[in-house]
Amino acid sequence: MKSAIRIENLGGARAIILHRPHVTVQALSRQLSAVGLNVTSCWPELGPDALAADFIFFDADLGYDEQFPWAPGQSPIPMIALIGSEAPGRVEWSLWMGAHAQILKPVGDSGAYSALLIARHTFDSRRRLSTEVEGLQKRLDERQTVIRAVTLLAIRTRSEETAYAQLRQLAMSWRISFEAAAARVVARYGEERGEDDRRSGL
Amino acid sequence: MKRRIELGLLYSRSGSYSLISEACRAGALSAIASVNSDPSIDVCFVPVERDPGGNIDLYGPMCEEILRDTSARHVIGCVTSWSRKEVIPILERAGGTLWYAVPYEGFEASDHVVYMHACPNQHLLPLLNWTFPIYGRRAYLTGSNYIWGWEMNRLARETITAAGGSVLGERYLSIGSLEIGRMIEEIQVTQPDFILNSLIGPSSYEFLAAYSKLGQSHSAFLPDNCPVLSCNLTECELPALGQFSEGLVAAGPYFRGETDWPGFEDFGSSHEAAAYAAVKELARLLSSSDAMDTVSLAQLLTDPVASIGPIDRKTHHTTLPRLIAQVRNGTFQVLHRGSAVAGDPYLAKPRESPGYDQKHLRVVL
Repeated sequence: MKSAIRIENLGGARAIILHRPHVTVQALSRQLSAVGLNVTSCWPELGPDALAADFIFFDADLGYDEQFPWAPGQSPIPMIALIGSEAPGRVEWSLWMGAHAQILKPVGDSGAYSALLIARHTFDSRRRLSTEVEGLQKRLDERQTVIRAVTLLAIRTRSEETAYAQLRQLAMSWRISFEAAAARVVARYGEERGEDDRRSGL
Repeated sequence: MKRRIELGLLYSRSGSYSLISEACRAGALSAIASVNSDPSIDVCFVPVERDPGGNIDLYGPMCEEILRDTSARHVIGCVTSWSRKEVIPILERAGGTLWYAVPYEGFEASDHVVYMHACPNQHLLPLLNWTFPIYGRRAYLTGSNYIWGWEMNRLARETITAAGGSVLGERYLSIGSLEIGRMIEEIQVTQPDFILNSLIGPSSYEFLAAYSKLGQSHSAFLPDNCPVLSCNLTECELPALGQFSEGLVAAGPYFRGETDWPGFEDFGSSHEAAAYAAVKELARLLSSSDAMDTVSLAQLLTDPVASIGPIDRKTHHTTLPRLIAQVRNGTFQVLHRGSAVAGDPYLAKPRESPGYDQKHLRVVL
């Protein structure tokens, strides 16, 4: 699916370059300043102001996990890898850290702008997807509860179909989601049933 | 009448890997002397030397100086991969060529570099394949904390795991660090079948000395039971190791006394041999015509003269023998001679079977 790319709001955005002092930093700063970003650089660790930045450019050649104030792959902002050595180990590490885009070193006169756009787009869609997956995962976990609720209700209604309809009815009258209603039913009837079981010696 | 051609030399004569630099430099100088005194070669090399003194930040500027301030288009030099990667952008801008005479970790094929020494399909993979059936597949990995150590150990781990083996520990030291205590303790506790050592310089000397002493008190760590393997140690570093090198197993394209090296001479080490071969091949390529003096490496290699040389036109790597040797009584003795193969920097060709046992093969459905 084609989705429009956001090109706005780069002016005034804050970029941090995590790289030892090097011509790479100069060349990249120049490109980013021309686009309108405010650029700072640091090495070997990202300071706390990283959390307030909009983009992180990081050295894939000499980088390591502890440079970042977040767990690998958990960056709260778009990350762009600066790759000099194309050794698979370094590429693997960049992915592990959660690179959203890349620029090859030596950095010349171009490359930064497209990397900014691609990184932001990848970051956004990755975040959207993980929210979606989280929601689906939650509903998947709740499916078990729905089945238990329907089973409990079916003891009284004698049919799964009517039990299902009843659960839907309950959700509507309680003004909560189907899954939440199922959880409530399980909490209420499940307890009674447990007591019944104990009484009957099960 | 010979044409005078300036030739850059970029080796650190001090710092933590100076023994290797000196070996390469000796090979290059000896080849320059040989070229200059050979009336059948039309060129005469005039060396232009710069010494970065082991400082990584001087390689780029000094290489630039050679290419800008002199007529040299070719530079023989660099030891660490880090320094090689620092000079590549300079070479690209200036249209220069680096002749690199040290083993490296692969995954590079610059249009401006000739890789005269071995890459993993010529050192690490044959070494592991030879080791597995003899010593086993349980490994401990060490390395200096930069691309050489990281990539060697990554590839070793992949190869060991694919062969049904296991990696019991992996630890790195920054270049020059002597803090080897923790490694030795971990090795003692985990009791591997072999150790892959990709440390360089003083870290490596310190480690090998301590491990050798461990072997004296615990026979499980004697070379016969748990050898140290290396793809970067050659004769040029034996003086720094003394008795502690005994039993060390190394892979390389040449060891002292071998006779199948092109343009055979008695070289001190494969570093010396590779740098020598680099200068000699360059002289041969330039000798064909004075039009060659200023052309790029790519153009130089399209000349028919190049096709009978050792350099692959596509990868700029060379075809090299795969030897495995062990230090016995102070000198490397070759234990295994693998046929010469072309360097395959991206390991894109099918790999040879590493001597898998049936019991290590699993059916994955």
